[in-house]
Amino acid sequence: MQRTAPLAPYALVMPGFLLAAFIVLWPLYQLGVISTSEVNRFGQLRGFAGLENYVAVFTDPDFIGALWRTLIWTFGIVFGALAVSFPVAMILHEDFYGRGVARVIVMLPWAVSITMTAIVWRWALNGESGMLNSGLKNLNIIDTNIQWLAQAATAFPVQIMIGILVTVPFTVTIFLGGLSSISGDLYEAARLEGSSPLQTFRKITFPLMRPFVNIAVVLNTIYVFNSFPIIWATTQGGPANSTDILVTYLYKLGFRFGKLGEASALSLMMFALLLAFTILYVYLASREVRE
Amino acid sequence: MKRFTLGATGLTLALAMTTTLASAQSLRVTVAEYSAKTGPYFEEAAEAFEQANPDADVQIEVVPWDVLLQKLTTDISGGANADLSIIGTRWLIDFVSEGIAAPLDEYMDEDFRGRFFDVFLSPSVMDGQTYGLPVAASARAMYYNKDLLEQAGIDGPPQTWDELAEAAPKISALGDDIAGFGMQGKEIETDVYFYYAFWAYGGDLVEEDGTSGLDTEAGYQAAETYKSLIDAGATQPGVTAYNREDVQNLFKQGKVGMMITAPFLSSQIAEEAPDLDYGVTAIPAGPDGDRGTYGVTDSIIMFENSQNKELAWEFLDFIFTTEWRAKFTEGEGFLPVNPEVAAMPAFADNADLKEFTALLPDARFAPVIAGWEEIAGITSDALQTIYLGEGEIQPTLDAAAAEINEILDQ
Amino acid sequence: MSAKLKRTVIAWAVLSPLVVVTLFPFAVMLITALKPPTEVLTPNWVPSRLAWENFVSMWSATNFGPALWNSIYVGVLSTAIAIAVSIPFAYALNRFDFGAKGFLRQFLLVTQMLSPIVLVIGLFRIAAALGLIDNVNSVVLVYGAFNIAFTVWMLQSYFATIPRDLEEAAWLEGASHASALVRVFLPLAVPAITVTAIFSFIQAWNEFVIALTMLRRQESYTLPIQIFSLVAGRYTVEWHHVMAASLVATIPVAIIFAWLQRYLVRGLGVGAVK
Repeated sequence: MQRTAPLAPYALVMPGFLLAAFIVLWPLYQLGVISTSEVNRFGQLRGFAGLENYVAVFTDPDFIGALWRTLIWTFGIVFGALAVSFPVAMILHEDFYGRGVARVIVMLPWAVSITMTAIVWRWALNGESGMLNSGLKNLNIIDTNIQWLAQAATAFPVQIMIGILVTVPFTVTIFLGGLSSISGDLYEAARLEGSSPLQTFRKITFPLMRPFVNIAVVLNTIYVFNSFPIIWATTQGGPANSTDILVTYLYKLGFRFGKLGEASALSLMMFALLLAFTILYVYLASREVRE
Repeated sequence: MKRFTLGATGLTLALAMTTTLASAQSLRVTVAEYSAKTGPYFEEAAEAFEQANPDADVQIEVVPWDVLLQKLTTDISGGANADLSIIGTRWLIDFVSEGIAAPLDEYMDEDFRGRFFDVFLSPSVMDGQTYGLPVAASARAMYYNKDLLEQAGIDGPPQTWDELAEAAPKISALGDDIAGFGMQGKEIETDVYFYYAFWAYGGDLVEEDGTSGLDTEAGYQAAETYKSLIDAGATQPGVTAYNREDVQNLFKQGKVGMMITAPFLSSQIAEEAPDLDYGVTAIPAGPDGDRGTYGVTDSIIMFENSQNKELAWEFLDFIFTTEWRAKFTEGEGFLPVNPEVAAMPAFADNADLKEFTALLPDARFAPVIAGWEEIAGITSDALQTIYLGEGEIQPTLDAAAAEINEILDQ
Repeated sequence: MSAKLKRTVIAWAVLSPLVVVTLFPFAVMLITALKPPTEVLTPNWVPSRLAWENFVSMWSATNFGPALWNSIYVGVLSTAIAIAVSIPFAYALNRFDFGAKGFLRQFLLVTQMLSPIVLVIGLFRIAAALGLIDNVNSVVLVYGAFNIAFTVWMLQSYFATIPRDLEEAAWLEGASHASALVRVFLPLAVPAITVTAIFSFIQAWNEFVIALTMLRRQESYTLPIQIFSLVAGRYTVEWHHVMAASLVATIPVAIIFAWLQRYLVRGLGVGAVK
């Protein structure tokens, strides 16, 4: 360790810390102020309100629905993406003809802004003019058009599917990185000991991939929990709030209905929720490692 | 002599320039984007205005409709709003009650007032003060596909909802991908699509006692009419997946017999589906002959905290001249808000527009209520629940009305 | 059948569902973009003719050029800011032992968790206070700041893999700390910095809510906002233009990806978990 100048590390850290703190903490403080104030529909403060805004959010039946769906949405996408990405990464790690092309195809959704992806899907899912229905009809999979976005029973699963699709590239990339960091000697040794591929997977690949899985889970949870464009561009949380998650509900509350106080309270509650999850997960993950 | 004038002009010009530098008169105008033509139109107007007023610098900020309210909210909350902005007139009360919109009466003379049809100016008048000028106006009427009606053996468009309920299934029977009545069930104005029938059955959005009118006979009957159209397969399938543009697209493709929408569909058909043989007629009437169209205006307001009110007013005065109004109204396919524009041949001889203008005496505007967007949201949610068959009509509307009453009470 | 050929068949067979679903939106984009305007609403998969002129009309109708330029400007500049402050940050976290280290790590994790949409009201107030509304630089600043958490975290775990011996050897030869850093350490860190920069660029390229709130005038719109404005609340949507614009916006990034994907994998493999 260098100990020449005790202030040196602080000097090095300072520019980044100040910038991040300014852009992140100051708005956070603002939210705290707004959420405990009476606010008019244009965000102008009109006096102290205590916890009224928090109570209002808690007692709104739409909040509970959105909270519940957010959990389904987040877990569905995070674990869906995990389930797809792990085998895909294993395959892409193998040597086969066209691997480069396959890797590029799998990464491709990453190159498109999620907003645009969502807009394209919305168009593709259109009941009469959408190419998904017409494609499925051509393949004789369906014979009448499905109105994908008409009810939550079809819309929400499709939205989760889109979410998985845009989450896979990042996850696969992490896993590929992980697989390439596992030394080939270990596999060689396992092969010499005559262990089956399944055993190799259980004894070597899976345990060594653990930290990569953990990273993917934590980062994806943060991204997916806060993800707005997919649901907004396809259904705006409808019909009848049945595809609302907390973020879309927050947007409606704040910018459509002009309840900025409640929206700020909800923002902070969402932040707390995410914080609690992350701490819990990091704690569980590190405990497992120690065991 | 000539040289002298030139010299004098040069001097004035130089003076003018120094004053510009001293007091750069910039004017920010937020406009809603109605179509691809909106931005270029306002840029052109701003340029022409700057030529007439060399010391003015007009900045046009074009905002997509869906996010206009959000932008205005953040702007005002951050104290960074423009000098002028287009807003939905239904939001105006919020702007007025918070002291954000400036009254315009001190600038307006009788001559200026005379430029507008009263029916469009009056929604912007609150407590005797004028807070906005109608910049865009539209009403709703029923479009019908003449070929489809003829094939289904229906002579003439239905005049009442009962006739429509009879005609629509016949048109739907023409083919698998043909629907009798195109119904909107998603996004902006889902509630309005319901009010057409609601008003025809004699409903009022806000009853005389100040409560919601959804939980009345008129509400139940209108919902019943729509729900049975859906159940009979007389609408396109999956109405809750269709927003206004989607239904209009079906109509342009000749897949929908009848639908209710605004004048701008005519100009779209002229460009995109010129061969479509269609007509425009009044919205069907209810059993007692009631009928209502939705009149909607957008207004341009001046902000109370504007530093350049005089200049802002001059700009308003400029864009509300007949020449610029005509250009805007024709480009966007709105109804003329000015008598002089309406009298121009392009508007006076337009058969489709006549149908809309004829409906104006029956036009109802969104009631002047704070929190209107939230009420519209609650109503749309309730309707979607009914359309999907996830709730019985009466209890669903009653619950929505109760929620709305809480907002109305505040 | 050789072993590799067999692997190839199995690999593509297993990947095929994902490949189909991944390519489907691109097919929709391409086909819709090439349909003549009168056919756009018909959901056929083969247009009657290829309307390449859509791309030309899209370019002017959607104000594409300026939006593309804004996106590139914002992406490059915000990345430059994030990287410039993150390198010393990450270096300090990695090479020094100091009291605030634990705090800084937690701080980074917390900032990582806050989504711009959650903070948008407060962010807007900062931009207003700084007089940066409708200025692409406000977006640059916010993206740069929000990316710091991720870039520091990636860089510092990568830095950990660069042996200290090399710097120490340079000191022994009489180099100052600063020159050892610049001459010995940074060259070794270039691959990590590149990978991190790409991530940061993608974040900026994709971001939607902040740009939507901060940018007012069409001249300052970035691509996602520009394309969104074509479908948001207009009275008619020109889907062929929307799809053509999305496609053109996607191609440059897709090419960068195809070119750099192996470095991405390598960078994440070393960097992600240390």
